[in-house]
Amino acid sequence: MSGPLLLQSLILGLLLGGLYALLAAGLTLYFGVMRVVMIAHSAFLILAAYLAWFFTTQTGLDPLLSLIITVPLFFAAGYGMQRALLSRLRPATLTMMSVLLTFAIALIIEGGLGYLFSGTQRRIQLGYSSASLELWGARIAVVKLVAFGLAAISLLALYLLLKKTRFGQALRATIQHREAAQLLGIDTDRIAGFGFGLGLATAAVGGTALALDATIYPSLHWHWIGPLMAIIVIGGLGSIPGAAVAAMVLGVTQSLLQIPMGTTWAQTVFYLALFATLMFRPQGFFGGRLAQRF
Amino acid sequence: MLKVASGMLTPRSGTITVDGVDVTRNGPQQMLRAGMAHVLQGHSVFKEMTVAENVGLGAYTVRDAAAIQERTDFVKTLFPVVAERWNTLAGALSGGQQKQVEFARSLMVSPKVVLLDEPSMGLDPKTTATVFEQVVRMRDAGLAVLLVEQNARRALESADLGCVLDLGKVHIAGAAADLLADPRMAELYLGGAATTSAGTTDGPD
Repeated sequence: MSGPLLLQSLILGLLLGGLYALLAAGLTLYFGVMRVVMIAHSAFLILAAYLAWFFTTQTGLDPLLSLIITVPLFFAAGYGMQRALLSRLRPATLTMMSVLLTFAIALIIEGGLGYLFSGTQRRIQLGYSSASLELWGARIAVVKLVAFGLAAISLLALYLLLKKTRFGQALRATIQHREAAQLLGIDTDRIAGFGFGLGLATAAVGGTALALDATIYPSLHWHWIGPLMAIIVIGGLGSIPGAAVAAMVLGVTQSLLQIPMGTTWAQTVFYLALFATLMFRPQGFFGGRLAQRF
Repeated sequence: MLKVASGMLTPRSGTITVDGVDVTRNGPQQMLRAGMAHVLQGHSVFKEMTVAENVGLGAYTVRDAAAIQERTDFVKTLFPVVAERWNTLAGALSGGQQKQVEFARSLMVSPKVVLLDEPSMGLDPKTTATVFEQVVRMRDAGLAVLLVEQNARRALESADLGCVLDLGKVHIAGAAADLLADPRMAELYLGGAATTSAGTTDGPD
């Protein structure tokens, strides 16, 4: 195996890991805030990718500009979905029922996309689609760097929002002890809705980043949800830093394994890591307390 | 009962008044505004946040920065442990220290009444003693403390007024000192103990 190839895989893995990290952060937010397993997260990801593609083909503008529309739209959709649908589930069976409910939402989105845009594979053509940088023999596509930058900025913004703002404090308090948060005058239902909206906003950003350099089709979301679910369990359910670290590590591992094993088999690293985690450290590697309580 | 008083549950009958104002059936936020602060049973600190963040969240509904600062200084002097461990993660503190963080957090809104639900639960006798010292200090600082506690002797020793509930009905009520001296109290302890052991022997052996 040549040095430049190894370096290229390593860099591509890191870049991919950034996107995984952002999406997994959203997924872990849903679970943290209200113990919801959000199967439709990756369906919203693909929906956002389609919206970015549609936006670019219709207007000819850069897909990144579609974020101005999709991020607020997805935030509002997430808030509405939590308040109108998920908050109606019975608390005792919430986690199980949320799987069914969000599975249905995923199917509706997939069906809707197929109906509107057909099952044809779509790809955005950009002026800089084929541009790449060369670094010690490794070739890195510019679109991948842009996608990573987008993910990294969003993740940082999410982190600062949660750590530094009054809303973030209230959201974290709601995650850690809902009753106590309520007694301090925090409107935990509204906060949970906003938390859900934030989660979907990560799907909007992730979808746009994905649309930059991937071929998309309606059923693509099934390829994403498995790895993402594995990442949040390995990172420790509810822990955003845990999800981010697990995403980077697994992204790099997947990318490196693609060299000897090919793309299909390299995916298995997520499930192998998941099995190993469940066997030896079921609470995940970070945070963890939430998973124990669950 | 305390959950009704803090607005977490709605009562089927009866009324709750604070300073003569009827606040029955208010939600948690309105109860907080009416001056009721509730410290839950068991541990309820936000474990993965620092003591500072926990206490800061106590003032979530307070918008006046100067008032928050003043309150922060007040709880720091009332509970020295809180000041000492200010930047520690609350989950890393001992049970008794966590309880004091919870007390401090509940006092940030300058409540009229503090509702304490079994503050000694799960604590060893020595820590219980410390926690009760803090309860007395809150009382001495001029707060009305409504304490629900199984450790009746200790509770009465720190209280002004006492009230014994049996199956939801007021059994004995009066000045705490009188209750301590009341022969019926001793009887009730014994009676209570007898029914519990009878209850356990009912099960299959």
